[in-house]
Amino acid sequence: MLVVKKLSKNFGRIRAVNNVNFSLKRGEIVTLLGPNGAGKTTLMRLISGYLEPSSGSVRILEHDVTTERQEALKNIGYVPENSPLYGDMTVFEYFLFIAKLRHMSDSSFQERYNEIVNNFELKSVINQRIETLSKGFRHRTAIAGALLTKPQILILDEPTEGLDPNQKHAFREFLKKYGENNLVVVSTHIMEEVEALATRVIMMNKGRIIKDSTAFDLKNFAKSQNLEDAFRQIINQ
Amino acid sequence: MLYQTYVIFAKEFGGYFRSRLAYFLLGAYAFISMFAAFYMGGFFELNNMELFSFFYFQGDIFALLVPAITMRLWAEERRSGTMEVLLTQPLSYTSVVLGKFFSAWLFCTVLLVLTMPFLFSVGSFYPLDYLNILCSYLGCWFIAGVFCAVGCCVSAFNKSPVIAYIATLILSLIISTGNFDFLISEFGFSSNIMIRTIQSLNFSKHFQDLSSGQLGLDNIIYYLSMMILPLWLNVITVEYKKS
Repeated sequence: MLVVKKLSKNFGRIRAVNNVNFSLKRGEIVTLLGPNGAGKTTLMRLISGYLEPSSGSVRILEHDVTTERQEALKNIGYVPENSPLYGDMTVFEYFLFIAKLRHMSDSSFQERYNEIVNNFELKSVINQRIETLSKGFRHRTAIAGALLTKPQILILDEPTEGLDPNQKHAFREFLKKYGENNLVVVSTHIMEEVEALATRVIMMNKGRIIKDSTAFDLKNFAKSQNLEDAFRQIINQ
Repeated sequence: MLYQTYVIFAKEFGGYFRSRLAYFLLGAYAFISMFAAFYMGGFFELNNMELFSFFYFQGDIFALLVPAITMRLWAEERRSGTMEVLLTQPLSYTSVVLGKFFSAWLFCTVLLVLTMPFLFSVGSFYPLDYLNILCSYLGCWFIAGVFCAVGCCVSAFNKSPVIAYIATLILSLIISTGNFDFLISEFGFSSNIMIRTIQSLNFSKHFQDLSSGQLGLDNIIYYLSMMILPLWLNVITVEYKKS
């Protein structure tokens, strides 16, 4: 479903992503784990087509993100770090804008709109300007916008930042369900999230993949019962 | 691609009226235009059949105001991070660039249309040459289009709307006052073709042609190419920023 081959990205002399290879399939919830500056965000930007690789390729459902960009991106829902949104729009206007950009028909928009507004409890703020929303509501709006077209691949950069514990729990439950029939890629440095969500963990450090396994294997590998200890141990190796 | 261009255009054009900037610019344009026409242009001392004193300053007025219309188009997207949301949608960069450009150009059209009451009020006192005036309006519209294209392109280069404003203002002034006639004497060109080619590069010459009612194909091609070049550079800039 998502194939990353020999992917590298340089910013001047700095190599942010270094020869990364992996292949992900439907039904997986993959967490990208790593310390700050490991290259997680750059990798997500490369997968989502925001950045162009210096070398290597990303293929989404057989479409190359660089050469068949539009076809590839039809299957992706991406929420960048800090959930950037158009502050001068209302929540409804934002959803409508995304729906139009993605050529959704009126009927399918109406159907999905009702679904996501209920799922993400956005009814009370639907006509409110985004710049006046709390961080939690902004975050939910961004994720709901990415899910509007039911993308087969959902990419989220630190998705639970700014959510309260109840919202975090509800959101993780939602992701688990969504990940049953789709591919979900989540970048995080919160271990609790990895344990709660991940069917697969890809650990990165200094632009390279240093471990690709399940959360359970990760603990076993580091001979630890605690994922945070395992993370530290592997990073420091 | 057309539909995507329309969606971006509608979002950007609506965006002007969601902020106070649009209303401020409408007021500022009306005030500056009338001030320039009546006080600086000596409106009452001139023969106003062609509204010369009104159109004479329009190039400078657009050079001053268009940067304020275009400065946020890309710079704001980059500053707020929404560029990442926009450019990861399945749409072509060309449609995004065109959508943004047309929204700015239409806003300038609104500015021009709002001067129509002035035109008709003057028309009730003076016999006006409406054909010439239409050509002058067309010239102003093209000038605004060129400055919008330059402004869009400049805005794509940086995160700061203020820098985008200043850079567009400087470039617009250079373009509107640029005169390449000195090249003729400097290099001693004597062939008619060379002289005419160099003269045809002058921005003001084309506006003067239109103001005097000469709606030639060469003028239209000149203005269109002056728009296409910065827009093409804008697409290249967006693509370059990716890599």
